[in-house]
Amino acid sequence: MFSDTRDFIEALHAAGDLHEIEKEVHWDLELGAVSRLACEKDGPALWFKRITDYPAGITAFVNPMATWRRVAVAFGLPPDASLKEIYAEYEKREGQLIAPVTVAGGPCKEMIRRGADIDLYDFPAPMLHDGDGGRYLGTWDMAVCRDPETNWVNWGMYRFMVYDSLHLTGFPRPTSHLGKVFQDHYVAKNRPMPMALVIGADPISHFTASATYHIGGEEAALAGGLRGAPVELVRCETNDLLVPAHSEIIVECDVLPDCAGLEGPYGEYPGYRTGEMGNGIFCRVSAVTHRKNPILTVDATGYRDDSSTITALTGAIAIKRRLERHGIPVMDVNVPREGAVHLAVIAVKYGGKQMSREILETLTSRRALLSKIFLVEPDVDVYDIGKVLHAFSTKCHPAHGIHVVHYEGRANTLTPCYSQGERALQKGATALYDCTWPGEWSREWEVPVQATFDSIFSDSTKEKVLANWKSYGFKD
Amino acid sequence: MASKTDRQTWETFVRRPGDLREGIETPMVLRDLTPGKHKYQMRHVVAVLSRDPRETEDLLRVRTVVGVLLPETWGLKIIRALPTELPGRPYHDFYDALRRAAVSGD
Repeated sequence: MFSDTRDFIEALHAAGDLHEIEKEVHWDLELGAVSRLACEKDGPALWFKRITDYPAGITAFVNPMATWRRVAVAFGLPPDASLKEIYAEYEKREGQLIAPVTVAGGPCKEMIRRGADIDLYDFPAPMLHDGDGGRYLGTWDMAVCRDPETNWVNWGMYRFMVYDSLHLTGFPRPTSHLGKVFQDHYVAKNRPMPMALVIGADPISHFTASATYHIGGEEAALAGGLRGAPVELVRCETNDLLVPAHSEIIVECDVLPDCAGLEGPYGEYPGYRTGEMGNGIFCRVSAVTHRKNPILTVDATGYRDDSSTITALTGAIAIKRRLERHGIPVMDVNVPREGAVHLAVIAVKYGGKQMSREILETLTSRRALLSKIFLVEPDVDVYDIGKVLHAFSTKCHPAHGIHVVHYEGRANTLTPCYSQGERALQKGATALYDCTWPGEWSREWEVPVQATFDSIFSDSTKEKVLANWKSYGFKD
Repeated sequence: MASKTDRQTWETFVRRPGDLREGIETPMVLRDLTPGKHKYQMRHVVAVLSRDPRETEDLLRVRTVVGVLLPETWGLKIIRALPTELPGRPYHDFYDALRRAAVSGD
């Protein structure tokens, strides 16, 4: 399994899923535009070798896991593993936690900068989209923080923007785990929160940082379990947080409880730049450590970015687990890539009004990242979006089959359809489309019979047709 | 005061169409568009704006809350700097913090 970004780059190269760009590319929009287009073409990961204004040796690795092939490679699976196989592999491994180990040093300590030697502009943080609030150093990252009361350490992937040579602003949502720890334990006591922004760790550590994982769950142990080997951690220089020792860049900082700065707007994972701006957090950098010739890892955020695979995958399994814990007869869950982590397809044994309400309540009670749910019966393959759309179009009653829950203070403020007023109040709604037959309908008398080959013919007719298929002149 | 040759171009973001007004001291966030590796560095200032930039003034481009660049370029005269570490509340409106800092003289 990969110990760092460099091993992963080599594996992608071997699999044919890496494109190295030797031509000089400007960090100011050109790198972002190339990377965005590559992402939308389902292209390979990109490794920019020469970046304007920066010396040779400082490079950028972009879109690490934005296709299912690259997710498969990161998990050590064959690159052509199916989506079902990747989901199944994650489900199999996620319960096997392996605690991290602490080491005395590591490559991330090759260069250490403090005080006046710190200049965040020494790294080629790109202006990814025309009109973004700033240059984002943290996109494919992991922010490490600790709950001081329980010592729970959280890893999360959040956006962080360069403010000046010594400061960052960021937008871990207020409802995120980092946002909750910061507000509950540091802002409330007017204390700065130590944080480490990790850039370019091994791929599975970043994967777990983006994962939907429960409060109190240690992503470092989840990463160990998924990798099949413990993550090696090393202590920061200016705080007691532990970070992956083989990372490319570590930015140590204090998140200030009494300061504000402009953050955003930013072209985000839903595929839009919403008006979420100026409502984030403000950080003062205390040290920067990095490898020689550091590789800046970047997610060219937007439509079908890295979140469309990894956040979708872990989100789907988290939804399944949560529903199981609440006694919902869930069979399968898919968060389809095109739904930008706003849409889930949930297969249940049976639907109906009460079931719909229970699911909505269970999935929106603390924070509400989903705005649409398709509820289907087990005969619909949740991974087959054509079949899901067919079930939605035909089985969801337009008057009685749509259930909506409204909430305030926990909506996803990055959801594009919300107004600026709703965003300010974190106000929103989730709609569930019940694409199941009413439970009280008689299977013999009322439930319509599906007009498909599998459903509308007797077994003997189907067997006869299949046996004779080629004799009708068909090749396949 | 800037001369014709060294006038600088800045950019700012505003929440609403009427947030910038001519001829009065206005707290604002600026980002420096000078090319080079420090491009887009942020500053907090109090400045006076004019709709028709004079040759001695810096230039200000304005973007909306969703990042769209507006067609008008303003003239800008920086009156004083505000601290980078601007007193304010995390997860609350940064522009309120700017206005308070300008009033308090920080």
